[in-house]
Amino acid sequence: MISEKFDRRYSDILIQGGTQCCPGCGGPLFWRIALEALGPETIVYGDGPCAMCALRSIKVPFFAIHFSFIADGATGISAAMRAKGREDITIVSSGGDGATGDISFGKVSAAAERNENIIQICIDNEAYMNTGIQKSGLTPYGAWTTTTPTGKESNKKDIPLIVAAHKVPYVATASVAYPRDLQAKLRKAKEIKGFKYIHTVIPCPTGWRFDPAKAVEVTRLGVDTWTWPLYEVEKGVLKMSRRPEQKPVTEYLKAQGRFRGLKEQQVEHIQAEVDERRRNLLAQEGKSLTL
Amino acid sequence: MSFTRMMEGNEAAAWGAKLARAEVVPAYPITPQTELISNLATLIADGTMKAEYIKVEGEHTAMAAAVGASVAGARVFTASSSQGIAFMEEALWQPPGRRLPIVMCMVNRTMGPLGGLRPDHTDSLLQRDLGWIQLYCENSQEVLDTILMGYKVGEDRDIYLPVAVCYDGYFVSATATPTTVPDQAQVDAWLPPYRHEWYSLLPGEFKMPPPQSFIKMRMGLEDALQRSKKVIEAVDRDYKRRFGRGYDGLLEEYNCDGAEAVIMTMGSMTGTARDVVDIMRAKGKRIGLIKMRGFRPFPTEELQRIASKYKALAVVDRNNSFGSAGGGIVSMEVARALYSVPDRPLLLNFHVGLSGTDVTMRQIEYMCKETLKAAETGKVKKVVDWVEAHDLGEVM
Amino acid sequence: MSQIVRAFAPKADPDKCTSCGNCQLYCPEGTVMLDENKKPIFDYRYCKGCGVCANECPVHAIEMVKEGTQ
Repeated sequence: MISEKFDRRYSDILIQGGTQCCPGCGGPLFWRIALEALGPETIVYGDGPCAMCALRSIKVPFFAIHFSFIADGATGISAAMRAKGREDITIVSSGGDGATGDISFGKVSAAAERNENIIQICIDNEAYMNTGIQKSGLTPYGAWTTTTPTGKESNKKDIPLIVAAHKVPYVATASVAYPRDLQAKLRKAKEIKGFKYIHTVIPCPTGWRFDPAKAVEVTRLGVDTWTWPLYEVEKGVLKMSRRPEQKPVTEYLKAQGRFRGLKEQQVEHIQAEVDERRRNLLAQEGKSLTL
Repeated sequence: MSFTRMMEGNEAAAWGAKLARAEVVPAYPITPQTELISNLATLIADGTMKAEYIKVEGEHTAMAAAVGASVAGARVFTASSSQGIAFMEEALWQPPGRRLPIVMCMVNRTMGPLGGLRPDHTDSLLQRDLGWIQLYCENSQEVLDTILMGYKVGEDRDIYLPVAVCYDGYFVSATATPTTVPDQAQVDAWLPPYRHEWYSLLPGEFKMPPPQSFIKMRMGLEDALQRSKKVIEAVDRDYKRRFGRGYDGLLEEYNCDGAEAVIMTMGSMTGTARDVVDIMRAKGKRIGLIKMRGFRPFPTEELQRIASKYKALAVVDRNNSFGSAGGGIVSMEVARALYSVPDRPLLLNFHVGLSGTDVTMRQIEYMCKETLKAAETGKVKKVVDWVEAHDLGEVM
Repeated sequence: MSQIVRAFAPKADPDKCTSCGNCQLYCPEGTVMLDENKKPIFDYRYCKGCGVCANECPVHAIEMVKEGTQ
């Protein structure tokens, strides 16, 4: 019976199919990929992103407060597990872009400074999607949101770089369009003691305005245009995960309704920024990113 | 081994947390709580206390980490004051709502910008509606004892509530009085290890309270608070049996036999009030003292039971509720509690000691005299009286 | 459990399918899996009809058809 096969599958993959997320949401996709790498001896703490609906479906112990509580509850859980002699359990703290980059930004920084033994994940759909698509500090330049109806005027905050400046053992960017890369990074993070940070941009068809069927395709374009480059910073040293043949940024922008209002010179500006970032990343590869 | 010596409230509190075997202490410094946490850090660093002190970056995180640790099965202790309590307010809703038995010291300090670093009770009373048990201590000894009792009450499987042990900054936190620190083995025999039956985050044993309607959660919380009254009293009696010290539960009547009028105080000024009442009693004045130890749950039934013995009751409010229905926070709750009592006493309300100004014997004498006058004449001269506005002179 | 309502549902052509596993890998809900013959099967109880599986199939072995006709 097909439904029996699937019920068994959901137990194995540690996440129940049929979340309350939008069709094409990258949230449940992220968690299914991640949980395969993390395994059952994991506690997930976190809240905030729209993709949080996916967290309601995971089959490992899970606890959340509000999105202004990122990394802090995990700090407490981590201490309690030490008190119980259960440091074998992986503690994952998760937050959306609004949580990690804005309202709980100080908390993430503090947890990094304390070198808390957690994997802090940012599941970034580039706006406050849960409350109906409002701008966050991680919304990209030029993007439409309900609070930036003529396009966001400021740049996307570079959280991975900021966290790396705390000199934590491991920082990485990842993408659900490259699941094996994401899983390898999570497996690596599991084995490291101290603060690990993995930042994944996930597609949001509802907020970015595109056909849900294109969810993975659009995410892949983000990586292939170097808008969302994949790299690791291990013990402060930068290592590129992929060096794709650079596609023009317009391919990525044209695929999403949220960039429909961009003017010619704004697109050029975005391309110039992406090019500069690519140059800097390639120049810094193998070198220390911290001072 | 039990020992006795002069000890400030902030040191007594640290010993309380140590004896209770708190396992996780997430805390952020703020005057006048600071010595409490540095004392704890020292006890932990030198191995006297086996716990983890998390040096968080702010009070909101302190309470959040406390919640995470408590859900994950560790006994948690923390402390804050004033602005810090306000800063963590969002997080303060979590322990009562989730029924987590965290014990926290609220080292009372006035709220800014209306004062400095010295105590009044507005900071803790501001949080009265959240569902925390709130107990107010008079001196270092009571602080230590109340922390131990707080864990016993909070972790009762029929209760599961967080407890705020409140005490005045400076007047208790930094004033040394003789304090007995009980023997650890004796405390261990009385206070078992923490085990919350509703929660586990261990893989394979994951447990959370079942989903409930919001109204059921709220009624459940209110119910637990009401049930806790008897538990607070029972634990107090039991503590007295085992350790030799008790505090009469939620309310204490002091030198009230045959009194016509009573004043009711909270916190450190109670110590001074005891002396004033004794002096006035010796002169034949029929004045007594009620110490309000428990503010939450509010001791409604007990107050209703004893209040009709007196002709006048004065509530001394070391707090503000601006624009209120009439007077300070405690007096308004007292008025509500006594509303339905047919032969209720006349109610007076005094504001004193705000922003931590000294509450002098002279001021307490003034309040007692006004209350006695009301009992005599059957009239209240002033419903709400800001005592510090009067020039009463220094010496009683 | 709330009801899943979809306009389109995936339908696989096992003859075109090369068993690459993309559909199973990229389905956001985990409602596509390769069966013992390494051909895709769908959990129509929970599939939302988003179309990612069809989009990611390199040989167009999955078609999004009107709901009810799969």
